[in-house]
Amino acid sequence: MSFILRRISTTKTGKQIIRDQALPGDAITLGREGGNIIHIADLAVNPHHATITSTDGRHVRVQAQEGLGFDINGRPETVADIDSAAGAELRFGGHRLTIAREGEAIILLVERIDELSQSSKDVDEAKAFSLQGVMPGKRVGAWTFAILMLLAFLVGPIWAWQSYKNVDERPKGYHADTAWLSGPLSSAHANLKNDCQSCHVEPFVAVTDKACVGCHTGEHKAMSTAHANAPTAMLLAARAPPGGFDKFLAGVGQAFNRPQGRCVECHTEHEGAGPMAATPQKFCADCHEGMNGRLKAAGHPTALADAGDFGTSHPDFRPLVHAAPGAKPVRAALGKPPLDYNGLKFPHDLHLQAAGGVARMAASFRGRYDFGKKLECANCHKPDADGVRIKPVEMERDCAMCHSLAFETVGGVTRTLRHGEPGQVVADLTAYYRSTPPARPLQLGGMERRRPGQYAEGQVYNIYFREVAVRPSRAQDAVRAVFSKGGACYDCHTIFAPTSGNDWRVMAVNQTPRFLQKGWFDHDAHRETECADCHTAASASKQSTDLLVPGLRQCRDCHVGEGGARLVKVETATESPCAMCHEYHSDGGKPWMPPTQRKKKTAAITNQPSRGTYAVSLITGPAQRKLYDVTWRTPALRPTDQGG
Amino acid sequence: MASPFSNLFRGGRRSKATQTERVRERRHEGFLRYANFRWAKISGGLCLLIIVSYAMVDVTPRHNGGSWYGYTLGTLGAGLILWLTALGYRKRKMTSDYWSLKAWTSAHVYLGLSLMVIGTWHTGFQLGWNVHTLAWALMMLVILSGLYGIVVYSTLPAALSNNRDEMTQMQMLEAIRAFDRQLHSAAQPLTPEDTAPVLAALDEDPFAGGIGARLSGRYPKCATAAALHTLAGSRSSDAEAREKVVGLLKQKQAALGRLRQHLRIRALLEIWLYVHVPLTFALIAALSAHIISVFFYW
Repeated sequence: MSFILRRISTTKTGKQIIRDQALPGDAITLGREGGNIIHIADLAVNPHHATITSTDGRHVRVQAQEGLGFDINGRPETVADIDSAAGAELRFGGHRLTIAREGEAIILLVERIDELSQSSKDVDEAKAFSLQGVMPGKRVGAWTFAILMLLAFLVGPIWAWQSYKNVDERPKGYHADTAWLSGPLSSAHANLKNDCQSCHVEPFVAVTDKACVGCHTGEHKAMSTAHANAPTAMLLAARAPPGGFDKFLAGVGQAFNRPQGRCVECHTEHEGAGPMAATPQKFCADCHEGMNGRLKAAGHPTALADAGDFGTSHPDFRPLVHAAPGAKPVRAALGKPPLDYNGLKFPHDLHLQAAGGVARMAASFRGRYDFGKKLECANCHKPDADGVRIKPVEMERDCAMCHSLAFETVGGVTRTLRHGEPGQVVADLTAYYRSTPPARPLQLGGMERRRPGQYAEGQVYNIYFREVAVRPSRAQDAVRAVFSKGGACYDCHTIFAPTSGNDWRVMAVNQTPRFLQKGWFDHDAHRETECADCHTAASASKQSTDLLVPGLRQCRDCHVGEGGARLVKVETATESPCAMCHEYHSDGGKPWMPPTQRKKKTAAITNQPSRGTYAVSLITGPAQRKLYDVTWRTPALRPTDQGG
Repeated sequence: MASPFSNLFRGGRRSKATQTERVRERRHEGFLRYANFRWAKISGGLCLLIIVSYAMVDVTPRHNGGSWYGYTLGTLGAGLILWLTALGYRKRKMTSDYWSLKAWTSAHVYLGLSLMVIGTWHTGFQLGWNVHTLAWALMMLVILSGLYGIVVYSTLPAALSNNRDEMTQMQMLEAIRAFDRQLHSAAQPLTPEDTAPVLAALDEDPFAGGIGARLSGRYPKCATAAALHTLAGSRSSDAEAREKVVGLLKQKQAALGRLRQHLRIRALLEIWLYVHVPLTFALIAALSAHIISVFFYW
């Protein structure tokens, strides 16, 4: 029985040299210290690590000495019995001890299998010194990210579109194509933000008008009446042929399947939450600028004047007027100053004079009405409930303060002639003269005896009783007087004298409630401006036929084109797109404007009224007055107290 | 034509080009100051043109990516992104033409920076949580990582050179290996308690540590430092042998420190590419989704 220590070394050429050495004794010591029979220069091996013994020359016992064990066939042990014929592999630190049997000898093969140190291992320089070793590869990252992006933001959305292709309304919840939402929808469409397909119906097809009118029926179905009634050929001819760059853009749009003239071209979406932006001027001006000539050339003559920009190119207003007494209201012709026969006689200049009878009368009523030293516009003209327009003048409310129709006081109550009913006036006056005797002279009072002869011609009895006898027929004179020059009716109205079969008649009064039918004017929005700033002709107007509606010139004192274009000098310019005054879809309505652009009603809060305002209103109470609310009018009625 | 383009497209004879190149070599003209900042001027002019025309062009109702002006900028930007990406292809391809890699890189850098203006002005400053803004954000990240790359490329190589002290990378590693071998033999007489930390130090991979350690250069669990600490305080082995091992450990630590500093500077030099390149491809994917989405929901 003997142990043979076998060592294998490799030459530089790769050839293996095997050296065998017989070991003395039955007990072989193994360790790092030089005194061991098997000396292993390995720091992981103890100085006296183990002993290897064999009793029968076949079975080998390996026993660890100093606590540190060894591995046998991969298992850590401190003692192991090995049949050398079967063989075994033991591991001490970085070395391997292979036990085998050759003939009668037990072969102990010792090899270093681990590197001396980690740094001694071979390294790939390019990899070890760069970040390649510690970072996932750039290529891996690139592919991963790219695929994730495509899945989340391309495949997902298209899949969402595909799954709800023929569904009227999508269920609530997350839909992948909301990641494509380019910007918040306007407040009107905010509920559609999860349902892209409600507008974007077909892929690669720009949003069509059909998608809009699916919900917007009624006036939004096609266009405003004015535009809907026009033949298509005329509408097409109206549009300015795009020139230069616009033509190029239109061509590009066409090439990319994005035709022009769709609803969405004006009604832009995804421009941010809140109300949809007002339609810009360009969408009107595209056609209306220079349209007259184009339509004429295309064989569609039109009366419409060109309008390109409020500041520079806009026809003068054509207010609705009665061109002759009793005529039907029509829009005034362009050119000469329009006349409006409303049936009334009313000299504005007289009423607005700073001095004179009217001013003095008004001044005498100060404290009773809202009058100042003279009459102001607002004394007679009252805005309607929403402040947009001025109410038609009403005799009882707006004139009767001065122009009284009272004719008698009975027990402190004033009787007035019925305004607006000439027949009633005639009847009332006739009844008045029939039922009331003339004032009885004092001489006829008392119980004393009277001498005869007082009935003689020219004496008091004769005068009185003759008057009593003829009094009822005096009614005719009074009626004539009231309807004739100098009479209460004649002052303001055109009177037709009785003809055969007809009684006294008053010409009908036609006050136009809205002069500018095509544009929208809001008095309330202009409440900080003096009336006379715009109604400049009022103070000099001698005739009621003078139309005092301001013209384009007055508007342009403040209003300029959308882009600030102007012909005259403007101090505080208000940029005015077409949509400020003109409503496309429903003629006659108020043009829509985003709330943010609307004028705030702040004047009432910020502009403290003068003390005078309070002083008057405290005395007279609220400004509103009711029809025939005349109980305070007695002092004004002195002249009529005297009766006929 | 005296514009910056005049030199760009001129054919030029080979000899002249070579001569110019020689002057550039002598001046150490890098990609940043290539051709007297030609591309810096071009992209600066481009940015100025965009900013001015953005203010001048009246787009209704307001500027956004969907106006004709927005589409123009978007097309320009998308084309530019694809061309900038092509640098990765160009740099792998050797040519002998006028478009030297340096010229290409110079254009890449400056046109890439101008993309910040093109892309941002393309949005009309309308940003949101959507694929469109995602593409913009990725683009900005790619550009900013590239900007970082330019900064480190112009500042760190000097530090790298100072640190290596005329040694190659493998020489640095070889020094550590030499100290390991000496440590191994010097530690043989030590007691098991003392050999354990030495063994741990030998077992330490000089390239170990994640990206955090690489970038920060801090290795708090360094086994060599720990072994040094243990052995300096140990009393168990032969003092002379221990002194020798401690001395070797100190030397190894210094060598390791140099290697780690080298790795750190290299990591700082390289890390931006791990953002720049993968995000570029993420950007191209997001850009494709962005463009397709625009036409899909046209």
